[in-house]
Amino acid sequence: MNIIVCVKQVPDVDDIKWTKDNNLDRTNMLSRLNQNDEWAIDYAVKIKKQFKDVTITALSMGPMQAMDVVKYAIAKGADKGILLSDKLFSGSDTYATAKILACAISKIIKDYDIVLTGQIASDGDTAQTPVSLAQMLDIPDVTNVVEIHNADKNAAIVSQKINNVINMFEVSTPCLIAVKKPLKETYKPKIDDYIRAQDVLVNVVNAGQLDLKREDIGIMGSPTMVYRAFKPEFSKNTVEIKDNISKQIVELMLKVNE
Amino acid sequence: MGKIAVYLESDLNNNTLSDVSYELITKARQLKISAKEIDCENNDFEVVGIVLCKNIDMDSVRKAFLAGLDYFVHIKDESLDTFSQNVFSLSFMEYFSSNPCEIILFPATPYGRILAPRITTMLDVGLVADCTGLELIKKNENIMLAATRPTFGSELMATILSKKNPQCATVRPKTFVADFTLGSDDISNRFFEYNLKYPINETRVKLLRSFFEKEKNDVDFDNSKIILAAGYGLYMGKNPEYFDKLKKLADKINAKFGASRKVVDLNLVSKEYQIGQTGSTVSPDLYITFGISGAVQHVVGMKNSKKIIAINSDEKAEIFKYADYKIVADAKKIIDELLGYF
Repeated sequence: MNIIVCVKQVPDVDDIKWTKDNNLDRTNMLSRLNQNDEWAIDYAVKIKKQFKDVTITALSMGPMQAMDVVKYAIAKGADKGILLSDKLFSGSDTYATAKILACAISKIIKDYDIVLTGQIASDGDTAQTPVSLAQMLDIPDVTNVVEIHNADKNAAIVSQKINNVINMFEVSTPCLIAVKKPLKETYKPKIDDYIRAQDVLVNVVNAGQLDLKREDIGIMGSPTMVYRAFKPEFSKNTVEIKDNISKQIVELMLKVNE
Repeated sequence: MGKIAVYLESDLNNNTLSDVSYELITKARQLKISAKEIDCENNDFEVVGIVLCKNIDMDSVRKAFLAGLDYFVHIKDESLDTFSQNVFSLSFMEYFSSNPCEIILFPATPYGRILAPRITTMLDVGLVADCTGLELIKKNENIMLAATRPTFGSELMATILSKKNPQCATVRPKTFVADFTLGSDDISNRFFEYNLKYPINETRVKLLRSFFEKEKNDVDFDNSKIILAAGYGLYMGKNPEYFDKLKKLADKINAKFGASRKVVDLNLVSKEYQIGQTGSTVSPDLYITFGISGAVQHVVGMKNSKKIIAINSDEKAEIFKYADYKIVADAKKIIDELLGYF
């Protein structure tokens, strides 16, 4: 059985820095693996432990720096890694990103049973790419997944949680599963794992190798475009309480409970 | 005549429309009105509501007209009595292929967020997620939808345009306000039924079972009037006792206890109490922060509270920007004092 895990390197949103003219200072930003994607790797490794002959391929798109998250996925238990990296990819929106990923999956990986992704990425925060990717691959998807009960060559049984309702599905393979809940135990790689990951050669793929042209992808190939970006401003008439603080808080509390 | 379509979400159990449907209709109506002001050839739009379901409640249809619809289209078939987003998206496409439009608004509910990217990818067009602002602008002699949304953990706002029609966006519930005085409830010649010619039979995804799961430790913030939220400031001195003290205070006054991401990440408070972008979004009558600095990822989850009291010892803390009442003090001391009252 072949599993693909999509992983994304994201800026650490707790560490956003601004340039003087109110633009994001991307050069000095810390990066990390998107949290939901860590869970996707955990699920893939769990399936691998249950069955023989499971191969996990970690797939990422990004600058060469994103090699870190591919190597990390390998240290956690993935067997292979592919990094889609090309200047032509930058500026891709969710549609163009899904197109590049779909192209890599159908042209390079070819034979796969399950595509695992995180539900949402903390930077863009759209949750659109997994669904778009499934549509482009013409495979069924189940998103908002909180449990993978079983997964084999033919089908996966998964639980989706939306609001307070659990929907348990059987979905035939090949399929895409987007997870939004961590496993009880996540495996943090040890030094040995990182050493092993170092020896695994990651396949770096550019646009030409995927037969993708400038107009298909990136800013030109994206059906949406950023018109302007700005820092949100917020102001409120704030009253400062300096005396009898607790008493005044209690009065405000009582007012609400009236 | 252009068309602004609104994807209406209906409840499978009672066939009524969800509140966000009316909110989107009103917004679409306002866009239509604003288009008339734009000096452009094609500035005339109709607002069309589209629902896919087996049956629809007629009171909901009337309400939809009052909120500002010009036309209501009920796409009908037995097969639409389903969970399958695949069935909905393919059925929508059948209708859309003979009834195109310039703009489509989708609700950013969990199901809407699954369905909308399926449909837009089938159409080979873009989709702007979770918009908080929508307006029409003139660009290159065309009227375009300018959709504004928070990104990068809400640190940045981006206004996004779509290069091709239909220009599509999703909008979260409660972002816009429904106005039931914009239209008339005269249904004649405005309500249409469309029977599917090619119903879809879902074979790839099977629903095995569906049930309610209220986890024991799920915190129900929805019905709470007061929330007391704990931040890292309570851990100064490396003593976790003030988290329990604040919980105790919350219990005594029938309030809910909440927390910032930082204290959850440090395992000082469990995850279900987290408020903010990756936790719960709340809007109680009164929200009191104890030692919370005001990172944007927290603020986006609580800024719609009716009244906010912020307590922090750092008078420059970001949280004070969002507060109705600012208190520069040691939050731990305030907790002790408040416990004395109850």
